[in-house]
Amino acid sequence: MSGSKPDILWSPHHPNRYVICDSELGLYSIGPVGSTETKPGTLSLSEETAATLLAINSDTPYMKCVAWYPKHEPECLLAVGQANGRVVLTSLGQNHNSTCKELVGKEFVPKHARQCNTLAWNPVDSNLLAAGLDKHRADFSVLIWDISSKFAPETSVAAEKIRLSSVDLDSSTVVTKPLYELGQNDACLSLCWLLRDTKLLLAGMHRNLAIFDLRNTSQKTFVNTKAIQGVTVDPHFPDRVASFFEGQVAIWDLRKFEKPVLTLTEQPKPLTKVAWCPTRTGLLATLTRDSNIIRLYDMQHTPTPIGDETEPTIIERSVQPCDSQIGSFAWHPSSQNRMVVVSAANRVMTDFTVFERISLAWSSTASLMWACGRHLYSCVEDEAEGTDGAAEKDIATKMRERAQSRYGHDTVQVWRNHLLAGGISHMKQCSEDAELKLQGNKQFAVYSGIKNIVKTSSGTTESRRCWSGSDRQTDVTRFQSDERCLALRLCGWISRGPDIDVETFLRSLEQEREWERAAAIALFNLDIRRAIQILSKGAVTEKGDLNLNVVAMALSGYTDEKSSLWREMCSSLRLQLKNPYLCVMFAFLTSEPGAYDGVLYESKVAVRDRVAFACMFLSDAQLPRYIDKLTAEMKEAGNLEGILLTGLTKDGVDLMESYVDRTGDVQTASFCMLKGSPGDVLKDPRVQCWIENYRNLLDAWRFWHKRAEFDILRGKLDPSSKPLAQVFVSCNFCGKSISYSCSAMPHQGRGFSQYGVSGSPTKSKVTSCPGCRKPLPRCALCLMNMGTPVSSCSGTGKSDEKMDLTRENKLAQFNNWFTWCHNCRHGGHAGHMLSWFRDHTECPVSACACKCMQLDTTGNLVPADSS
Amino acid sequence: MELHILEHSLKVASIEKEGIEICTHGLIKLAFLASKTRCKFFSLTETPEDYTIIVDEEGFKELPQSNLISVADSTWLALNVVSGGGNASSSQPIGVTKIAKSVIAPLADHNISVFMLSTYQTDFILVRERDLPMVMHTLSSEFTLFRVVNGETVAAHNLGISNGFVKPKLGMPRPIIHPLSSPSNMFCVTSLDPDTLPSVATLLMDVMFYSVGFPNNVLFTSASGELWKMVRIGGQPLGFDECGIVAQISEPLATADIPAYYISTFKFDHALVPEENIQSVIRALRTESTAQ
Repeated sequence: MSGSKPDILWSPHHPNRYVICDSELGLYSIGPVGSTETKPGTLSLSEETAATLLAINSDTPYMKCVAWYPKHEPECLLAVGQANGRVVLTSLGQNHNSTCKELVGKEFVPKHARQCNTLAWNPVDSNLLAAGLDKHRADFSVLIWDISSKFAPETSVAAEKIRLSSVDLDSSTVVTKPLYELGQNDACLSLCWLLRDTKLLLAGMHRNLAIFDLRNTSQKTFVNTKAIQGVTVDPHFPDRVASFFEGQVAIWDLRKFEKPVLTLTEQPKPLTKVAWCPTRTGLLATLTRDSNIIRLYDMQHTPTPIGDETEPTIIERSVQPCDSQIGSFAWHPSSQNRMVVVSAANRVMTDFTVFERISLAWSSTASLMWACGRHLYSCVEDEAEGTDGAAEKDIATKMRERAQSRYGHDTVQVWRNHLLAGGISHMKQCSEDAELKLQGNKQFAVYSGIKNIVKTSSGTTESRRCWSGSDRQTDVTRFQSDERCLALRLCGWISRGPDIDVETFLRSLEQEREWERAAAIALFNLDIRRAIQILSKGAVTEKGDLNLNVVAMALSGYTDEKSSLWREMCSSLRLQLKNPYLCVMFAFLTSEPGAYDGVLYESKVAVRDRVAFACMFLSDAQLPRYIDKLTAEMKEAGNLEGILLTGLTKDGVDLMESYVDRTGDVQTASFCMLKGSPGDVLKDPRVQCWIENYRNLLDAWRFWHKRAEFDILRGKLDPSSKPLAQVFVSCNFCGKSISYSCSAMPHQGRGFSQYGVSGSPTKSKVTSCPGCRKPLPRCALCLMNMGTPVSSCSGTGKSDEKMDLTRENKLAQFNNWFTWCHNCRHGGHAGHMLSWFRDHTECPVSACACKCMQLDTTGNLVPADSS
Repeated sequence: MELHILEHSLKVASIEKEGIEICTHGLIKLAFLASKTRCKFFSLTETPEDYTIIVDEEGFKELPQSNLISVADSTWLALNVVSGGGNASSSQPIGVTKIAKSVIAPLADHNISVFMLSTYQTDFILVRERDLPMVMHTLSSEFTLFRVVNGETVAAHNLGISNGFVKPKLGMPRPIIHPLSSPSNMFCVTSLDPDTLPSVATLLMDVMFYSVGFPNNVLFTSASGELWKMVRIGGQPLGFDECGIVAQISEPLATADIPAYYISTFKFDHALVPEENIQSVIRALRTESTAQ
């Protein structure tokens, strides 16, 4: 302390009192801001708390260290160690306490004066006060005083010699004979009583840490080390002790005292204080000189499955309770992770709570859970009301729902239906894309995307067509080639076959009441009359927009004269149209030939419509440039519509990657990539990663059947992913595989199905090995040889099984299979085993004590998707 | 018991009384501005004859070259006795008397010259660096030897070197060779908190360079407030080669159980004994000289 460096001590029993000591002692009371606001002299410690100065004691000059009496009564009794080695008992604001009076003012004086470095009050035997002093050539440095002792009779003798002493000693309050004297010829820098035995005192001596046992003072345990300052016992682990030296903290285990179990990373400046958090296990706070940061070390022993002793995980953190340099800090004795910090300079205090680290875990469903301190929070997605208006659901919920509704399996029709019902626009795009891919199944070019298709385009013909229904020549050039035609088909504008008419497509759009889109497409096909007709049809239908009539009217006024009022007005007013299709219609009509940026870069218009438009009206030079640009844009945005352009190529994987990065939707990614799947795309590690993650996700949801279905689908589409057979059944006697021996002997006319594996009940069963004719093992329950069919009602007589006949049939096939415990090797018919382990955990074989069921970690789980 | 061989390489020098002026700068730096030098060991003793300086090699560089400064030619190492094992006896003699029999006498018997420096905290026994193997050999039976290397204490091993100088003098009293004198003034041995050094620096400078006394209330005094008398050993400068001088004085004192400080300077040795014991000291030492 020595005047400049303050220290802070919490009252051991009053959770709202603490003492600051620098040149004097100040007792403070801490409380919420509101309650102490009215009193003068209140110091704000934080937003919520404030401190009030209760008492000041400046009776003890040359303070070096302070210790607070550990028992309830008398409260506020402090021991002060002084620069000349005297220990004085004093108190704060306790004038009328009689028990205290006797003790206050008592002095404990060492034989030879030198600095008192540290004080430690025995927490149990609270009469014992240990003082650690500097070295003297002929004296001890650890003195244990009995505060209740009356002055020793020798004091009178000693008093005779007092001549040079400037302090007048009142012999009635001076004790000069310590109860114990320990640590000869060595300085003591820090002390603490050990919690595991109150007779043990740990002392940081000059070059070693020593444990003194008061029951036998001639013995001590010691270890040579430099880390001897600030010894302190972890209140949660009585065997764990921290000490420090300069910038390094050493953690000791008293059971293995030879060397530190841990040394923490060295800090550039010397440490001044190290303290274990009393309210949280394994949390150590350290403070270095001239710093405004408190560094925390969170030491947690994590159990390892092997049971080997491992180093604890240490998480290092820094906290900055205030801006000024910290003089000292003290943990609150009971309030969790709370401390009061006092600044080095002018006693500015801060009440501070160390925020606990948050550990967070996502569940495989959409809920989220996190722990902070002693609290556990969980966040569950609102069970959405099912309306489309509600906020978009979490992707995990969506994927789960989709998985349940057989998303991605079977035919495109299933996909479409589902997706239309789901109403998710980009997914619809994707599905339609997939549909087209199926249509173009014979032409592999389709998979490579429009981007690659138009690149190979050749033999483009230019034509200028008339507006249909009019003989007026347009100045619009239209380009045509086989590739462009294919692209148009992929965009859905024209259907298969030689027919390049869009009429069918327009009809279908009319049916879906997409009037604006239909009109725009009609217009792009230079059929202005049809466009007007569509719009007016849209206006008259139920719930139609009457404004469409106005648009139709405006459209009918079209003139190709460059400087007409119509043109001028349309090109400026079109921007106010809300519907993007109406907007691009006027953009098309008012733009110069070959410069259709108003259409091409209208991002609200569906990509396939823009691409189709580009295929019709952009030249061979312009088209690839536009497509490239659009592709890059789509990739950047992770927009699935872009799949149309990229196809299922590397580019497509890039796009999908961007999409997955944004949404986490590995489900869509997996299915898309599986569907198209030229081999090298499927081998892309990203694709494999999505597929594996999707499978893991299904497993985590316990959608095992869905996962199996997915694997089957995957095996169909990507034969290389089929796993090899992993289990073979071989005969105990001849060692030959039973299934192989069957297939190897076709002349015997027995297929594998005959051994009960396929479970066809009509076929005769074989109960012996086809190789050596020895019997197959018996089922542990029915004692029949394997291969014998299982009667469906054996073992269990449960009525509910009969109710679900289809399920019963499926299970009946499985009931005949072999199954056995991997540990004890006992087993039998799968059906029997299932019913046995429904009620038992141990092996059905009477002499076997194997707890088969407990070894099976997933055996008790029920699939979540069983239907 | 543990014997620590400290890592300081020490020089012993003497500054003539009139030479103190040229050394003032260096001495102030060594005494008060420890952070400005790399010096780890510094002692200044003023006697009527001269100033004796014991300083490590880093600190020695702070002193100027002058013919007013004479330096003992060898390098010295400091030994320090620590009661390591904690076998604390209830009544321990103070200071040199404690180590007289265990360290001083055996070294004297093996013809090793020692230079003593007692302080408030401890006693340093300085031996010549070249004598170290012999010292270790001599003391290894009595002590656990440790060497301080870069601040770490490591066990040191006896190299088994002997100078063949074995003089078992069982029961034979060691005669006192040099004349003794005891001035009438009294001494107070004390120490102070290093943190308070800045506040007493001007006082200390007065004492060091202008020989003014301390005011009463500055230094720590021991609770018993004891005072000490000095016994000066030697009529002629003693030199550094003669051995057994410390032993001659400390052994009789140890036998009589009289605590003592022992401070060697460049020219003479000085023992401080409690003033109330001075008569018994004179008695004890006189017996020794007459026994000669």
